[in-house]
Amino acid sequence: MILHSISVSGWRCHIDPLNVGPFQEGLNVLHGPNATGKSTLFEALLRGLLDGHRVSGKEIEAIRPWGRSLAPNVIVEFSHEETDYRITKRFLDKSSSKLERKENGRYVALAEGGDADDRVRNILSRSVPGRGLAKQEHWGIAQVLWAPQGELDFGALSGNLIADIKASLGTQVTGSEGGPAEKKLDTIYSRIFTAGGKLKTGKDAPEVVRLGESLEKARERRAEALAQQQQFEEASRRVEDLRARRQQAKLDAAELQKEINATRTKAEDFRNLLSEKEKLDAKYKAAEAQYNGLKDRIGQIKSARKEIKEAQELLQKLAEDIPLYDQERESHDKEVTDSKSDLEDIRKDREKVDESLAAADEARDFTENHKALERLSTQLEKVTELQEQLSGFRKERTELVAPATKDLRAIQKATKERDEARIRIDAALITLEIVPEEAGSLEVISGEETGTKSLQPGKATKIKGSPEVVAELTGVARLRASGPPGSIDDHRKEFSQASKQLQKLTQSFGTDDPVELEALADKAENLNKQIDGIEQQLSAFLSEQTPDELEQEKNKIEASQAKLIKKHSEWKKKFPDSAKLRSHAQEANRSFVSKVEEAEARWEKAQAALNAVDIKGAGLEAQIDGTGKQMKSTETRLAELESDGKTDEVMDTELSELAIGWDAAKGNLKETETKLAGFGDNPVDIVEKLEIQLQAADDSTGKALEAENIEQGRLENLSTQGTYTNLANIEEKIAALEDQFKAEDLKVNAIRLLHDILSQCHAETLSAVIGPVEAAATRTMQRITGERLGQLKLGESMEPDVVIPGVSGVPVALNSGLSGGEREQIHLATRLALADLLAKEERQLVVLDDVLAATDAGRLARVMTILEEAAQRLQILILTCHPERYRGLDGANFIDLETVKVVSDDV
Amino acid sequence: MKFLHTADWQIGMKASHVGEAGKRVRDQRIETIHSVIDVAQENQVEFILVAGDTFEDNGVDRILVQKIADILAKSKTPIYIIPGNHDPLVPGSVWDHPVWKSTENVSILREESPIDIPGGTLFPCPILEKHSGKNPTLWIPDTGEGIRIGLAHGTVEGIPTDEPEYPISRDAAAQTDLDYLALGHWHSFASYPGSNGAVHMAYSGTHEPTKFGERDSGNVLIVEISNPGAAPIVTPVPTGKFQWDILACELREAGNLLQFREEIEAIENPEATLIDLRISGIIPAEEYAEIERIQQIVSSRFLFGHVDFTNVRPSPEDESWVANLPAGIIRETGGKLQELANPDYIGDRPEGASPEVASRALIELYALISEVA
Repeated sequence: MILHSISVSGWRCHIDPLNVGPFQEGLNVLHGPNATGKSTLFEALLRGLLDGHRVSGKEIEAIRPWGRSLAPNVIVEFSHEETDYRITKRFLDKSSSKLERKENGRYVALAEGGDADDRVRNILSRSVPGRGLAKQEHWGIAQVLWAPQGELDFGALSGNLIADIKASLGTQVTGSEGGPAEKKLDTIYSRIFTAGGKLKTGKDAPEVVRLGESLEKARERRAEALAQQQQFEEASRRVEDLRARRQQAKLDAAELQKEINATRTKAEDFRNLLSEKEKLDAKYKAAEAQYNGLKDRIGQIKSARKEIKEAQELLQKLAEDIPLYDQERESHDKEVTDSKSDLEDIRKDREKVDESLAAADEARDFTENHKALERLSTQLEKVTELQEQLSGFRKERTELVAPATKDLRAIQKATKERDEARIRIDAALITLEIVPEEAGSLEVISGEETGTKSLQPGKATKIKGSPEVVAELTGVARLRASGPPGSIDDHRKEFSQASKQLQKLTQSFGTDDPVELEALADKAENLNKQIDGIEQQLSAFLSEQTPDELEQEKNKIEASQAKLIKKHSEWKKKFPDSAKLRSHAQEANRSFVSKVEEAEARWEKAQAALNAVDIKGAGLEAQIDGTGKQMKSTETRLAELESDGKTDEVMDTELSELAIGWDAAKGNLKETETKLAGFGDNPVDIVEKLEIQLQAADDSTGKALEAENIEQGRLENLSTQGTYTNLANIEEKIAALEDQFKAEDLKVNAIRLLHDILSQCHAETLSAVIGPVEAAATRTMQRITGERLGQLKLGESMEPDVVIPGVSGVPVALNSGLSGGEREQIHLATRLALADLLAKEERQLVVLDDVLAATDAGRLARVMTILEEAAQRLQILILTCHPERYRGLDGANFIDLETVKVVSDDV
Repeated sequence: MKFLHTADWQIGMKASHVGEAGKRVRDQRIETIHSVIDVAQENQVEFILVAGDTFEDNGVDRILVQKIADILAKSKTPIYIIPGNHDPLVPGSVWDHPVWKSTENVSILREESPIDIPGGTLFPCPILEKHSGKNPTLWIPDTGEGIRIGLAHGTVEGIPTDEPEYPISRDAAAQTDLDYLALGHWHSFASYPGSNGAVHMAYSGTHEPTKFGERDSGNVLIVEISNPGAAPIVTPVPTGKFQWDILACELREAGNLLQFREEIEAIENPEATLIDLRISGIIPAEEYAEIERIQQIVSSRFLFGHVDFTNVRPSPEDESWVANLPAGIIRETGGKLQELANPDYIGDRPEGASPEVASRALIELYALISEVA
């Protein structure tokens, strides 16, 4: 696109119509001071070509000149693909748009309104703004070709820039015929897929998605229908099972009833047999009793007879034993008499033995008494001595008045307090010391001691007093010494109190000298210790006895000794040998005891033998008596047993008959019992149990029927729903949907594959295109900056990405390590390289609005050379407020905006 | 004795393999019952035997049951029906429907018990559960007056099946001393001649075909037996209305697809025909449009049609249209798709780029280029 002219009116600062142009196809420099509206013209160019004329809002309102009701107008004349056009747009009030094409040397209307907007916009961009103003992302290739004020940097670019560039480049790489096919495919693809390559959803969703959703829903319905069909089949099976169960229960009940009937018959037989058994049992027991009764009677008779016979034999034998017994007793009686006489003789020696033992005891007592008397005499003497010593010390101690330890501590404390009070008094007294050179006298007027004091030459005389000391040296001077008013009275009071306390404490001791008082206390302590020692000794000698008790004990022993001497007068002359006496006495005693014991043993043995014989005799008599009585009793019993007069033979015959009857009863009973045992378990009990089972079986049948009816109802309910038909219908629908889905899916996947392959080819081709762009941009960059920056690399979106300096070979990002000027120059180089590419088919307009502000004069000169070269292929429009910087441009068309405005104003 | 032998009506049958035509297929199965009754009347048979699977399932809509009972009730010929393995006599079965109590000429044979029929005895073998390995004819006694006819449902030995349901020996008629054993379960007509060459047992097959590839279906059998022990005369009579055709076409050279399309267009009575077209081979670019035309013909004229182009590949030699594409990425894209459409291509395939998808993509590209041209 080539710009020929631009006219504006009612546009920001350009209130009146302003026509700028014509621009030449090469270099154009539109210059003017700041605020003359250069960038406003750039803005009018953008809006004139890219904005819809109906746009509204604050941003477009801002274009209207301040405080004026003017509608912004812009007219752009340009040529595209060798055809001249003119677009005229009016914004805001009565907005309009009109596109004219030059035909036969004059502009003829081509389109109006939105159509005019679209036609012009499509020359630059495929991207259409919504309702608002065209943002930078809608500029299309103008984003590369046109750099707004200070925005050479590609970083500000966004939106569909890359897509637009690629589309523009794509047309070249696709070829003129391939482009429409690619566009058509894009249209088809975009109807199906989102920009991210996903299938569209919602109201724009393609058929395949709709089919997929329908299929999904149909599958859900199929799952429900299948579940319902399964429920139907399950219910059928359950009914069948329940029916079988009910049938089985019925069969079981019938079987039980049959068994009950049979068992009831058996039970009746069983009961009859039981009754018969009871009768037979009674008969059997009666026969048994009769037999046993007679047998017992016969046995008793025989036993009685035998007992009588044995008693008679015993009585005869006992009668024979009586004389033998009498002889034996006489012999034992004599033995007892003899042994007793021997014992009494031996016992007569007892008195002598006792006397010798008593003499031995008395000799021992005599000896012990003697020793005790000696001990007691010594003990009493020592006690008397100690008591005398104790009496002396106690007397001395009683007479000694000495302070106790507690008193002594109180006295020491009082003394200390008194002395401290004295020291404080001394410290509080004012001392006046006078050392006269000559002898004289001193009249103390005020002080501790007033009156006249003589003075000795060279000798110090001290006068103390409080609160002042006043003395007069007669004829010489009155001396007065004073100190700070103090508390000497308090000290004196404390001294007086301490002195009184001391006096009170020491008054009873006759001295207040601490040393003396301590000596007194020590002495008293020593006396106390001596008293304690003697008392301890005395206690040890007395052994918890009093001296009187000792004396009484002594007197008692002396009386006992006197008594013994009276009995044994020889002991007075010769002390008895108590051990010897004891030994003799004990020997005699042992001999005596031994004899007595032997005699006693003989007597006791004889006596025991006699007693045994007596017992035997008594027993003999009792036996004779008892046997006689028993025999009589047995004879009475026998008589009773034989009272019916039956002979033994008769009774034996009767017993045999009874035994035969008993055996018969036993046989009958056993036979009945065998029959009963043949029944096994009690059929009566079995009938009861079977009846319970029958009841349970009947209950079970009822329950089974109830359950069956419930399930049958459910089954019928399900069967009326036609579960299989429902399933069949939905499965058919699914099959149809699956076929459609498969066909549509194949188509969609084919479109996707076609698009992807085409995009891939496009990308590969574009990649081949980027290479030359990089090379061209690098070349331009190196011409401006030198070779220091090495190679320029573009990113995937063709924005300048890194430079790779030849020295290091390490890529350097543009925003780190490069100056602002270098970045500016790199972006310019890239824009020019891309512009070259975009201008291959047609010369394109490049607009640079005050964009090289950071480029120094040296590099700007090189830039101008490059711009001059670029102008051979591009139309370049430079907007600047520094035209002098571009004066070196060869062949440039300089347009002074101020001049243009003046001309326009004139017009 | 003369009777009509039919089976496997499969009323309410699911026909998901024919998609939305399923309802038509189902309805026709009901409609054909009229034909069966008409055939019976035309042939003046004494009774009709239905050898099981009257219904597809016990869960079919009860309206269908009522409808069938109403149709059968109008028959002047007595009808004997046994339950089959698709409609076994179980609780909740179609035979529990009260309508069967009022259709006097229709006998639902629920027990293994001989029935007196004109000129002989009928031995029914009703099916009481869906699956079983029991031979249903074993119970048949050697008693019974006159001509002995068996009516059973099961799998005769030798029929290819995964797990034979209700197996029946190939000489079951001889073993049970039957003059004729009317069988159901197998949808195609099949007869089993005895050692003397006479046919004493046969499958009638279904009265209306059920699917593609079904052989000898859509018939009923008219069976005539002069006296006990005589060889039955078994005559198949067509009753099916719908034609189920599988048509295959292998494209070998240009014009094949065009020719095939013309064949399809020449098919008579397409509204009663279901076709399954299986096209394979190499298709030249200029015939791509035929694919769409065939699809349109099939979907618009036929009762149902399925066209399988899965195995159709663009001709690898036919590079003319690709070579004529605009130079640049379009032509390059066409070349790559041609490679991917080749099943023998050994290079990397993009995700989802199966030969089928690539072939279709190539066709789409062709359409695209043609359109913009």
